[in-house]
Amino acid sequence: MSGARRRALRTVSSLGFWVFMTLLTLIPIWWMFVVSMRSRVELFSRPNLAISRLFLENYSNVLTDSTFQRYMTNSVVVSSCNAALVMALALLATYALSRYKLVGRDNIFFWLITNRMAPPAAFLLPLFIMFTRSFRIGNWTLFDTQLGLILLYCVFNLPFAIWLLKGVVDGIPIELDDAAMIDGAGLGGVLRHVVIPLAAPGLAVTGILSWVFAWNEYLFAANLTSVEARTITTGLAEFVTVTGTNWGELAAMSMITLIPSAIIVIVAQRYIVMGLTFGAVKE
Amino acid sequence: MGEYISQMRNPRTGWLLLSPTLIILIIFGFMPFLYVLVVGFFDWNVFAAEDGMRFNGLGNYRRLVFDDLFLLSVGLTIRFAVFAIVSEVVFGFLLAQMLTRNFPGKSIFRIIHTFPLMIAPIAVGAIWRLLVIPGFGPVPFVLDRWFDFTYQIGTYPDQALATSVIMDVWHWTPFVTLTMLAGLSAIPREPVEQAKVDGANRLQVFWYVTLPFLRPVLLTTVFIRIMDAIRTVDEVWMLAGGGPGTRFTGIYIWRVTSPGASADWGYGSSISLITLYLTIVLCWLLFIAISGRRKGEVE
Amino acid sequence: MKKAFTVLLLLAFALVANMSLVTADMHDWWADAAAHYAGATIRGVSESTPPSNYVADVLAAQFTELTGINVEFETTSWDQMYSKAINDMEANTGIYDFVYIEQDIIYSYLAQDYLVNLTQYAADNPDLAYEGYDESAFTSFADYFKNADGDLFGVPMEAFVKVYLYRKDLFEDADIMAAFEEEYGYPLAPAESFDQYADNAAFFTAYGESMDMDLWGTTVQGSTGHPASTYEFLESIGPSFGLYNWGINLETGSAQSANGGALDGETAVEALSFWLSMLPFAPPEATSSTWDEVASSFAAGRAAQGWVYGENAAWIATDESRSAVTGNVGVRLPVTAEGVIDAAMMGDGYIGYYDGGAFGVPHSSRNKEATLLWLQFIGQESVQAEWAAAGARITHTATFDDPLIAEQDAKVDGYYTLLEEQGPLFAGAPPFPFHAQVREVIDPFIQRAILGELTPADALSQAAMAVDEELSRLGYGM
Repeated sequence: MSGARRRALRTVSSLGFWVFMTLLTLIPIWWMFVVSMRSRVELFSRPNLAISRLFLENYSNVLTDSTFQRYMTNSVVVSSCNAALVMALALLATYALSRYKLVGRDNIFFWLITNRMAPPAAFLLPLFIMFTRSFRIGNWTLFDTQLGLILLYCVFNLPFAIWLLKGVVDGIPIELDDAAMIDGAGLGGVLRHVVIPLAAPGLAVTGILSWVFAWNEYLFAANLTSVEARTITTGLAEFVTVTGTNWGELAAMSMITLIPSAIIVIVAQRYIVMGLTFGAVKE
Repeated sequence: MGEYISQMRNPRTGWLLLSPTLIILIIFGFMPFLYVLVVGFFDWNVFAAEDGMRFNGLGNYRRLVFDDLFLLSVGLTIRFAVFAIVSEVVFGFLLAQMLTRNFPGKSIFRIIHTFPLMIAPIAVGAIWRLLVIPGFGPVPFVLDRWFDFTYQIGTYPDQALATSVIMDVWHWTPFVTLTMLAGLSAIPREPVEQAKVDGANRLQVFWYVTLPFLRPVLLTTVFIRIMDAIRTVDEVWMLAGGGPGTRFTGIYIWRVTSPGASADWGYGSSISLITLYLTIVLCWLLFIAISGRRKGEVE
Repeated sequence: MKKAFTVLLLLAFALVANMSLVTADMHDWWADAAAHYAGATIRGVSESTPPSNYVADVLAAQFTELTGINVEFETTSWDQMYSKAINDMEANTGIYDFVYIEQDIIYSYLAQDYLVNLTQYAADNPDLAYEGYDESAFTSFADYFKNADGDLFGVPMEAFVKVYLYRKDLFEDADIMAAFEEEYGYPLAPAESFDQYADNAAFFTAYGESMDMDLWGTTVQGSTGHPASTYEFLESIGPSFGLYNWGINLETGSAQSANGGALDGETAVEALSFWLSMLPFAPPEATSSTWDEVASSFAAGRAAQGWVYGENAAWIATDESRSAVTGNVGVRLPVTAEGVIDAAMMGDGYIGYYDGGAFGVPHSSRNKEATLLWLQFIGQESVQAEWAAAGARITHTATFDDPLIAEQDAKVDGYYTLLEEQGPLFAGAPPFPFHAQVREVIDPFIQRAILGELTPADALSQAAMAVDEELSRLGYGM
């Protein structure tokens, strides 16, 4: 009897705790939503967390804007291609680092990781020169192309992905590889039938987080694109103007950009936890 | 058959597998790094009276030692990173611990908890700016009306720093929660049960069993957060423009190198390199801590 | 014979006019001039402000229809705009065919020889020179885009001055007026001296508090995280006290009084002290406010008076979807210290900053001819009035007389008349080739003064020292 009551009490207290946490998490997002539902003249009244009326103009303005649609498409293409590329390259790289006796393996691994540490602002100028001058074929340059961003985002996504997958691939017993090889599988076969199935959760989480990081990137996108390949985050910055930041539309746009990543996370929630172990011991 | 396997294990194949990664990172990571390295030894500002770069030896590095703003930014960045990461790890661990239990609606709570992670930093900065700017946001209003507390991030640098820490905690704790949860769920049951049988209390179980198992995940998480916290620009720039209390190194570098501000590429490059160097040293120590443990385990 | 020819010609003209083929003529001119460039795309970078949005949305479409030349706009934030334009011009990449030139950066661009001399270029290409475009029709603001020879480097796009805005409904309320007079012993009125300004500010702040209203006595553009605060001090408050050119003496290359500068001088300290003393009377968001937040605060009715950029005056006074104080906005010249107006009239100074921007063509552009056509198109007289109505900007002398503007003028309490008549009292930014670099050096000291970490005198003397250091590092100093 008392055990059942204690259990019930525990459930209630954890429920209460989580409701509180959820409120903490959601209040800023809710506030953004409230702002997105207000006209400009209503914004500066006394702060009020309630939505007084359905005001959809901010959303309709953003959604019907053709530049916004282009930015959104660019963001989707860039993040998705980058995530796919990063998954593929990181898998090959971690497999190499895990299974082959490469000279200076640990140092290579560490150097790969250091690529994420560079302060991005300092690299804008060399990257700009590279994008506009070094990679030039006739009139074509990497500047303002989706390809440019897809490749560039590898700089901060690959280190993360390799770090994440290294533990996962290390955790797959090498005997399984050997067994597959004894059965006559080539490298492709081993990857396809042994490594990929076992590393699937890790790969999934790599892909998801790479996608999110790419989706969220601002500084590079702002400086290395102009019109064609601008992404949605640069669109957000465009609302900050001399004659009044358009907070309502900025909030509406933020809400819209939240949706795709939220869907992905909801769908892939299970894999994220399974994949994020960084090779923690599994028995 | 053994021959076939060792042939498959030829390092050349390994290099081949590694090569696309190396090529991309060398082109987009290492080449710009070399450029920055070289420029750091030059005096180069496009708006200087004389055009072009002038070799300056270690002049830029000498200058940064006496640059109050730079030293201030390093101090602020360290405080920001320490406060934010420690809070994130503590909260993340506690939340993950709670999530290992079963209670109704668990997965919904977990999904909601991960939402902030999915918002672009620049939007996060905008949201928090909307929350904390007086006359607009509810936070200063509530603090003023209910607690008679004056909250103005533009006037009090400490409040600005605290706000950016809280914002970062809000944004990144979910990431830590997820990694911790992954780490916790990978811990085998037997050692914990065994320790309990041996009469260990909860703290002892945590300290002697859970923590050692969790260490690689913990260190890796901290490592990733350190890398990202030191580079923080977008969020804080959107929140407070990088004014007093929030002028972190990432933002300082951006101001120094930005053509619309100082446009000082030589000096900006030297600051970037020092920042990068400090980050690497910090991470290297952590890296040793992680890999050292792994070696110990093998022996 | 000659006579008959003239008559014939006149007849022909009359006929043309009757059939209203004048516009068709204009069509033909643009189409002919652009014949070689039809199908080309020119690209520009600009901040997304109402005037530039009007250019992007309306004028660009008209131009494309006439000429077949496509105009692409990249709109971005203020900080980004500089980075992108300068990177492009410095690296000579040719991404942009025209760039937005904020007035204060023009001398930096000229010193680096980034821009095409438009006067010269039009003279060298007479086929491309449109007769409806006349450089001399611009207001005095265009003078700030010219070099020493008077050649133009940018087609003025927007222009405005920072004015004194006050709430007519408050200043003309009988109860409030009586309360003010009782307390201060003289009638309430828009400020004409700094003492009066301070009295008004103190009075309305106290009034707001006593009535539990969200009302304060003044605006202050005092963001501690943005150059906006430095700009308000150096370009609005400073000049109105008689501190010119940021207190920097270009001849000696110094900002310190000891070397002919004035940034740490008495006038500067007085100006900064006054400005900082207004902070307690400003709404709490003042220390986070850049120009747009100041305008928003005023539009929300949170300040009784203040210094607000004129480009905002129009929407604050008229746009009900954005402003809560429409119909109640008074516009005056900003407060000045004694003698400053007289000096400005004599041409020995100025009372504030004549702000705005222009479109110029970088040397790196690969479509200079097509871009020249485009700039002439937006610089011609016939497009000005509607553009002015949409964007609250005037760059042409003739625009002031347009009925559309006269109507607007009444709604904004004569802002346009003020711009027309008193505009010459304001001046563009000092001709510094190091504008952004030195501003960046001054920023932290102004910010620390706002936070109260430094006294005005200390902040300015340290700022002057830092400016001198930067000037000598850049090669402009001693």
